[in-house]
Amino acid sequence: MSPQPVKPAGAIIMDGLWYDNPIFRQILGICSTLAVTNVILNTAVMCISLTLVTALSCWTVSILRDWTPRNIRMMVQTLIMAFYVIIVDILLKAYWPEMSRNLGPYVGLIITNCILMGRCEAFAISNPPGPSFLDGFFNGLGYSSILLAIAATREMTGMGTFLGWPVPFFSGPYWDKWVIMVMPPGAFFTLACMIWLCRSIWTKEKVPAQTGGK
Amino acid sequence: MDNINAELWLMVVTLFASVFTNNILLTTFLGMCSFVSVSREVKTAAGLGAAVVFVMTLTTVLNWLAYYYILVPLHLEFFRFILFIIIIAAFVQFVEMVIDRYSPKLYMALGIFLPLITVNCAILGAALFMVIRQYSFIVTIGYGFGAGLGWMMAILAMAGIRQRLTEARVPRGLRGPGITLIIAGMMALAFVGFTGVLK
Amino acid sequence: MRDKPWYPVVYMFVITVLLSALLIGFSRYTRDKIEVNVQMAFERAVVGAFIDVKPVANQQVHQMFTQQFKLDEKSKSYIYSKDGQVQGYAVPFAGQGFWDNIRGILGIAADKRTVSGITFYEQTETPGLGARIDENDFKKQFPGVKIKPTAKPIGIRPAAQQLSDNEVHAVTGATQTSVRLEKLINDSLVRWLESQGVKEPSS
Repeated sequence: MSPQPVKPAGAIIMDGLWYDNPIFRQILGICSTLAVTNVILNTAVMCISLTLVTALSCWTVSILRDWTPRNIRMMVQTLIMAFYVIIVDILLKAYWPEMSRNLGPYVGLIITNCILMGRCEAFAISNPPGPSFLDGFFNGLGYSSILLAIAATREMTGMGTFLGWPVPFFSGPYWDKWVIMVMPPGAFFTLACMIWLCRSIWTKEKVPAQTGGK
Repeated sequence: MDNINAELWLMVVTLFASVFTNNILLTTFLGMCSFVSVSREVKTAAGLGAAVVFVMTLTTVLNWLAYYYILVPLHLEFFRFILFIIIIAAFVQFVEMVIDRYSPKLYMALGIFLPLITVNCAILGAALFMVIRQYSFIVTIGYGFGAGLGWMMAILAMAGIRQRLTEARVPRGLRGPGITLIIAGMMALAFVGFTGVLK
Repeated sequence: MRDKPWYPVVYMFVITVLLSALLIGFSRYTRDKIEVNVQMAFERAVVGAFIDVKPVANQQVHQMFTQQFKLDEKSKSYIYSKDGQVQGYAVPFAGQGFWDNIRGILGIAADKRTVSGITFYEQTETPGLGARIDENDFKKQFPGVKIKPTAKPIGIRPAAQQLSDNEVHAVTGATQTSVRLEKLINDSLVRWLESQGVKEPSS
């Protein structure tokens, strides 16, 4: 990989949040988080953890990039990611045990979230620590925004609440709660609709077509 | 004797539960990345599915042994994330080498899918669920096999449906992943219907 | 130095040792807290089956638990006594719910015939549906429910159905969770009643 000029911070932020949004553009990393999107609070905690882990892992990988031998870099990256995930897991267990129980195995599954490895490989390995941190952070944020939108839709239509507080219309007698939205199928439908919506907006914006995903 | 019978019964129940009512893909969304990207053709889906069943069964068992005989005695339970990943990666590498050496035919069929599996979150997810739910050794065998089988079933069904979709007129924004997710949603809906079967 | 064949091995080793050392140190520091959390969740559930522990601090709950509750090995339940007088029995129940394990405590009054409360310390049922078993609206139905010494001591009936004095209403829409919860509670209860020698009244 030839050394490339460092991207300006603004471009990194816009790419992470919108143009290269990990979920729509790349359909990456939905596995570890989609399962908890039926409650907004759980999703928020999960998203914060994921964003921090991604940003810090990218930062660490970037610091070590000149010393890491290429052939074992994947192992080193996995180790670094696991390190941060374990810290998050221990912190939750110690200071927020109810949340830790709610999230169950999904905190640990952040390790296999494709976004982490993807950002480390695509950006952090060949860029300085500062921009790498930004890249990881805003990719995480771009990802979080979608998941929070999904969670808000599911919780509102399925339970009539927002962060546990009743929402005027949805919790009233005129709204027949869509029970299926808090069940697993609801997650698939909501995500599909979000992707549909955003891809339609993209086609209007005429962003150069590009093949997403792996 | 009664104890063993009860365990075996529990194993069978867990096996069916993990295929139908608690399908790892359709209820916990694990392994979505490869599910969306490798479900275009039935043949490749079958190959990946078979590889997942094989790896999932054996790694959950290996992980069970490692967890209860290494980590628990040492009080290093929090290390499980790292250990499980290492075991899964090492196992996949090992299997790849073995079948490459002894069965080139099988390697042609399964080999290309093996590296994909290391990053399949369903494998790690199964290992983590097995710890959290405190399954016994015998039940773990049933669970690992069942979870793999459930995943394979889901991806096979999806590939079958998608092959027929190639000619269908799908709205532009929904093409590819969008429609796949909608179909997955319908499948999940159908699987919810199984929930009353097991008690 | 970086071209040497041993470099990757040494590098990997150093990184692993460094990160592991940090983690082990960190977990040492928090381990006690985590263990206390797990233990407290259980103790709060046991004590909470008799009195409202919501406003009570952990410390006090722990004190009550150690002083007033005694584990009875034979019936696998806790005997709740105050000033030498038995106040009730805490019977744990556990098993597979709709998605995952449900664990909780059923509090029984000293007469062995009346439920005094129910608490859960582990459940991950569907939020908004099955998970509402852990909400007050469901739990407050339990105090006062009569236990029938039969194969099905208490019942959880669909909402809007007529109840007899050993039944409560299920959470609407959470059929599976209710069916399983009923089974879990009754399994433990039947075993407990047997160990206490409670039989069907002759009248």
